Amino acid sequence: MPPRTGDRDRCVTGIDGLDTILYGGIPRDNTVLLTGSCGTGKTSLALEYLIHGAVSGENSLFISVTENSEKLLMNIIPYKFFDRELIKSGRLVFVDMPAMYERLGMTKAELSMEEIDLLVAAIGSLVKELGIRRMVMDSITSVCYKLKTPEKIRDFILKLSKTLSDLNCTSILVSEVAAQSSAYSTFGVEEAISDGIVLMANMERRGDLLRTLQVIKMRGTMHSRAKYVLDLTPVGVLLVPLLKGGSAGT
Amino acid sequence: MTDSRIAGNVARQLNELPPGSAVSLQMSVDNYLDVMSGVIDLYAGKRDMDTIYVTATISFEAIKRVMQALEIDTSRVYFVDCISHIMMGTAAAQKDEHASLVESPTMLENVMLKVEYLLRRSQSKEKLVVIDSINSLAIHNNSWILSEFLHILVSGLRVKEARTIILSVEEHSTPEIANMVNLVCDSGIRAAKEE
Repeated sequence: MPPRTGDRDRCVTGIDGLDTILYGGIPRDNTVLLTGSCGTGKTSLALEYLIHGAVSGENSLFISVTENSEKLLMNIIPYKFFDRELIKSGRLVFVDMPAMYERLGMTKAELSMEEIDLLVAAIGSLVKELGIRRMVMDSITSVCYKLKTPEKIRDFILKLSKTLSDLNCTSILVSEVAAQSSAYSTFGVEEAISDGIVLMANMERRGDLLRTLQVIKMRGTMHSRAKYVLDLTPVGVLLVPLLKGGSAGT
Repeated sequence: MTDSRIAGNVARQLNELPPGSAVSLQMSVDNYLDVMSGVIDLYAGKRDMDTIYVTATISFEAIKRVMQALEIDTSRVYFVDCISHIMMGTAAAQKDEHASLVESPTMLENVMLKVEYLLRRSQSKEKLVVIDSINSLAIHNNSWILSEFLHILVSGLRVKEARTIILSVEEHSTPEIANMVNLVCDSGIRAAKEE
């Protein structure tokens, strides 16, 4: 009987519901677009993915583009499994992208093709140097605003994805979309290049607002395509199936 | 205040149930306190079982007061309160570590999520989930979604070997509600005095 989950090695996210949806986790070395509008839990889920990785002994890197990492850590959910010792020991590393831009002398509003190569190389060096196995960039959308054209965005994501994959790093790129958007990314390019798309959303049903998660695509594995409702709790992200009976939602 | 024979009968029948079982507990409005005493005090309390009490009828605060009046130990009872939020009465729950609020009894997925969270937090070997009551949930939800909710919730609890008790009030019950409960339960208990 052929294996139902493929024979790709898995990066177990540690988020039980998500690992179940993905038949065991994200295929190793994949680059996944985690997309959704604000307040849907993208950053929390991405952070939890890294913390579980760090706890299980995989060096993990969070590249914060939109928010200062100090502030991010101040607002982190009080996870039962999170220990600040993970940061002190270098198992969990936070890097602020604005500092990286500054260090690389990227001060202009728009990055050139050469600067894109330089940025990808700098991220690659960091990943290699620190032995990173899991990476999150939050958000790729903010980086894309510095790239401006679809060609540059495509070039950046393709090169970044290849670099990370070659370094055996399984990565999540957080993408922001407008609340009512039916697209999976702001620039329409990101989703086509990623190995996987996990969509998080706010779904209104008879006046109730539910946080939902749905895996749209994931190369290298079978996966559920159903919509799940999630809660962000101190024991991590919890997921249950969206009830369909009598639903007026979409 | 309570009829100890009814409470005792309820506890005795519950004691015979294996882990992972689901039971429908039918009662009259007049027997509500006897049932509470039987389930929480004589059954779960005696077995050192953590109880997750989903209330859609009255606020957790009111139920807790009743339990305390009945001298029931509430230290192992964790409430999922689906009613306080819609009554704009969240202050007490915010101060009580044993209470989790669900914004509305229509948010059945969030009820499942809170139950799941409390189960994961529980250190107790045996766990009990009480749904109080199916009739109250039926006021806010149509039978399709309620049926689906019960099926998913009870199936998940069975896998975790947690016991489920679904309370229903005879005076407010309908054949549709009875069928819905019977579909997911292994057995039924009717809380009444022995003949």
